[in-house]
Order: sequence, then structure tokens, then C-alpha cells
Amino acid sequence: MSIFEIKDVRKSFKNGEIEEEILKGVNLPLQKGEVTALVGASGSGKSTLLTIAAGLQPASSGQLLFDGKNLTDLNQEQIRQIRAKDFGFVFQSSHLVPFLTVEEQLLLMLEVAETTLSKPEQKKEIDKILKIVDLEQRKKAYPSSLSGGEKQRVAIARAIIHQPKILFADEPTANLDSKRSKEVMELIRELTNTLGITTLVVTHDEEMLPYVDNIIKMKDGIVI
Amino acid sequence: MKIAWKEMKKNKAKFLILGSIVFLISLLTFIISGLANGLSDDNASLIKDLPDGQFYMSEDAEQTYNLSSIDSETQEEILNKHEDAAAFSIQRGFVNDDADKQHGVVFVTSTESDFFENVKKGEIVLDQSLKEDGIKVGDTLTNNQFDDEFVVKGFVDQKKYSHSPVAYINTEDYQQMYRVEDMQLIMIPDADDSLSFDGLESFSNKAFLNTIPSFSAEQMSLNMIVWFLVVISGMLFAIFFYMMNVQKIGLYGILKAIGIKTSTLFKMMWTQMFVITSISLILSVSLSQLFNSFAPDGMPFSLSMVTTIQLAIVFFVIGFIGATLSGLQIRKVGPLQAIQQGEV
Ligand SMILES: Nc1ncnc2c1ncn2[C@@H]1O[C@H](COP(=O)(O)OP(=O)(O)O)[C@@H](O)[C@H]1O
Ligand SMILES: [Mg+2]
Repeated sequence: MSIFEIKDVRKSFKNGEIEEEILKGVNLPLQKGEVTALVGASGSGKSTLLTIAAGLQPASSGQLLFDGKNLTDLNQEQIRQIRAKDFGFVFQSSHLVPFLTVEEQLLLMLEVAETTLSKPEQKKEIDKILKIVDLEQRKKAYPSSLSGGEKQRVAIARAIIHQPKILFADEPTANLDSKRSKEVMELIRELTNTLGITTLVVTHDEEMLPYVDNIIKMKDGIVI
Repeated sequence: MKIAWKEMKKNKAKFLILGSIVFLISLLTFIISGLANGLSDDNASLIKDLPDGQFYMSEDAEQTYNLSSIDSETQEEILNKHEDAAAFSIQRGFVNDDADKQHGVVFVTSTESDFFENVKKGEIVLDQSLKEDGIKVGDTLTNNQFDDEFVVKGFVDQKKYSHSPVAYINTEDYQQMYRVEDMQLIMIPDADDSLSFDGLESFSNKAFLNTIPSFSAEQMSLNMIVWFLVVISGMLFAIFFYMMNVQKIGLYGILKAIGIKTSTLFKMMWTQMFVITSISLILSVSLSQLFNSFAPDGMPFSLSMVTTIQLAIVFFVIGFIGATLSGLQIRKVGPLQAIQQGEV
């Protein structure tokens, strides 16, 4: 059964006078507990599709079915709540908050997701996730003192600490070397299994593909 | 978790700079406001200390009090009707002390009233600034238009007019010195401008103060500086937060992407503005009050706590408006902006 379904999504951008259709009716179901990879040439519309699915920008038309709701019918505040509670995000850059320590980044996410944990429970949860991403020693570090790989692992920890239903990742390994990339991909794979998360990951890194359940190829705004 | 605090803790220098600028500008504003008030006391405390009410001078004086003359019938009529009203006159002059040294004063005489010193014939009561010139109780003072001598009866606190110390004398002595029978002015406490008399022009306390030459010019320029500084500080807030917000657009975008409410971001900015302004104002208010109590005697400086607090509130409101206006851009930031912008 699919937990999330993209149905006939179209997206056009106005480029001056001319309107360009970037997504030309995409259909894509995501199966619960599976990792789906979105591959395709640069400019084929992968990021656009992912950000629309994640509620970060509206579709021009089509449906996004999740949890019995059609996201395209919801208002901004309702979508924000879904992003905060049910979605997690990882991007090419880690986008950490520069003035928060590793630990505080995760605490902030728990608060934003309005989880009902007590203070000690929050601490336990943070320690648990940091152990998974192997950053227990860097708890008190600020992003500026972390390496690229460490930052990306913090970003992944932040994306899953509130136990989202869906994890969206847009080329999460693009800035990492191949060893680090593998680690990150293994981590995503493992988390999807153990936490029962459903993952949609954009990648053009062939090395990632052994870790995923489904591979969806895009070309010029359609799935092929 | 208070992200507003965390940011200030991590970026101390940035916020310290904003804080010290607010501190300096508000301190300067308080000091100038204290000077404005001090000068206005120095210019007119005699009038400023009178209760709110109405002042009257003859219409033909054309708002120049020492050309005014209110005939004794009118005076009698008004004073009979209004118990606590007083008629009084003011005239610039000199007194010579025992050593024949001349001191510029403003002679004031009045009908019997709680608001003026009531002095017996041959006596004189002086503003305490003359004490510092070496005049003591019991000294005799002379005046070349006055046949007799004045005996110094006592001193009063801070009674000035037109930047000169006030000298209260008896009405008979005054009439002899200036060869006039009539008083220049009548003041009726608690009256409002509906109370009018034939041939007399009425003034509120404030309007009367403005008939003193130099008073309004002095006050206007100082008050202009005060408000100018207040406006500058507001603009400063707006510009500073604007620059900080521009730097943080990427951050705001990512925070919005993970689901932080726009209102939370505004609260973060307001908290920072509030904390910085509070600390800066607490420091500048204390320092200006300290200055108020230790200002040298010769310096016309008077800053009441009430005025300081009022100005501090204005600073808060201005800071709030400045920060909020510059923060309006936060609302426009889309979550995607950050992601497309790359590393934050
Ligand atoms: N906000 C936008 N405005 C205009 N054009 C856009 C916008 N976002 C994406 N595009 C265009 O859509 C196309 C697909 O972009 P994208 O989804 O980022 O591709 P991919 O991630 O597959 O490389 C590109 O040609 C890009 O220029
Ligand atoms: Mg892309």
C-alpha cells in the first residue's frame, strides 16, 4: 500500500513572457518502509518534484495524497504542520543553524515538531539518534567546527529525530567523498528499515542505487 | 529552547555593538533632555512652579508682560471673585551688596498669595543662587532707585526668571522703585480659557511661558535635537535588524522549511530587540540619573525620573517599530530560497 502518492503533478514556471512546463504530469507512489530513488539528468525536474511533494512549493496542478488528505487542498498553515510533524528533510547542504550546537539543532526540531516528550525523554532521544549517526562526541560542537560529513550526518539526525513518516532527501551525498557518501546512504537505508520511515531520495550517484528499493528515472519532466 | 538567546550568546559582538549604540544615543538624548529642562527651569522656574491656571495681562501690552498694566478696579474685582488668585509684577533690576557689588536680579512682587513669597516692607527674599555669591541672611542690600535699604530675610530654592535669580519685595517698595501703582499680571489657579475679562488677554501657563523672550527659541531647538535623536535611534534599529535579517534569509528559509512558524521568527527578533534595548536603557537611565544628582551646581541640568521613563518608553516603541518594519521581509522568505542558496 502506498503511504504517499503523487498524482498527475504538473508545474510550470514563467520565464519572462514564456511559460515553461517543467513537470508534465508525474505519477509516483511511495511504498511504506521503502527507499525510492529519483534519478535522471540534471534539469529533468527531480528537485522540483521533490520539493513539491515535500510541501515546499505548490504544484500548478495535480494531487498529493498523504494520510487521507490531498496536500494541494490544504492551506499554508496546515502544510507547515505536516512539514513539521510528518516530514523530514535533507538537502545537498546541511543547512544547520549556525548558532546552535549539534544537540540544540536536534532539540529545536523536537520542539518544532511539537513532540510531547519530557526533558529527560528529549535528552534520551537525542543521545539515541547521535549514537546512530555516530556523533555522540560532537554533541556540544557548533556547525562551524564540524567536517562536511559530520554536518550532513547532523542534518540527517535532525531530519529523523521527530520520527517523521516520510524523509525527503535531495542529493544528500553530493558534497561528500565516496567513502562518506556510502556511509550516509547506508545510514538512510538503515534508518528507513529500523524506524519504518518511507524515503524519497534524489541522486545521480550510481553508487547509491544498491541501497534503494525502487529506482524511478525522470526525463524532461516525466517519469520513464 | 530560546533560539533568540542562543543567537545572542553565539554572536555577542554583533549584539554588543547594537546595544552600545542604543546606549550612547539614549544617554545623549537623556542628557540633552535634562539640559533642555534645566535651561527652562533657569529661564522660568518662577512661572513653571505656579499651579496650572490662567494668566492675564492687559490687551494693549501686546503680549509683553512689562508693558502690561492692570488697573486697580479690575484687579480688585477679580481678586474678590477668585480667592486664590494673585496679582503680581516682574521687573529686571540690580541690588548692591555691602561691598557695593552689583547683582542682577528680577524683582517680583505680588498681592498676598500662597504661590509667592509675601515680604514685609524693607525686606527681601532671594533665590538661593545669590547665597553662592556670598549674600547672607541679615545683609543689607541697596538699589539706586530705592531710597531705603533691603534686609535679606531668607532664600528660596530655584526661583529664576529669564535666567536671573528672583528677588521678592514688598508691593509698596516696588511701587516706590518703579513709580507705578498698577500690577502687570494676574494669575488664577485652576481657571481655564473660558474665563475672560474685558480688556485683558488670557494665557495658559504654557502660552505665558512662550511670551518670555528666548524661552520658546531655546526650548524648540533643544527639543528638536531630542526628537531627532529618538528618530535616529529608530532608524538605527530598522537598519541594523534589516542587515541582520538579510544575512539570515537563508537561515529563515531553512527554519521555515523544517516547520517553524513565521510568528516564532518574529518573536525571536522582538525578544532580541527587547533584551538589547532593556539592558542599554537600564544603563543609560541609571547613568543619566547619576549625572542628574552629581551635575555641577552651575550647570542648568534637571532630569526627572518621569521624563526619563517617558523617553525610555518612546525608545522601546521606536525600536519595536524599527525592528518590525525591517522584519517584514521575514514574511516574504520562502523555504526554498535557502535550499537554492546553498550553504548557510
Ligand atoms: N523557481 C524556478 N523558476 C524557474 N525555473 C525553475 C525554477 N526551479 C526550477 N526551474 C527549472 O526547472 C528545471 C528543472 O530543475 P530541477 O528540478 O532543479 O532539476 P534537477 O533537480 O533534476 O536537476 C530546470 O530547467 C530549472 O531551471
Ligand atoms: Mg536538483
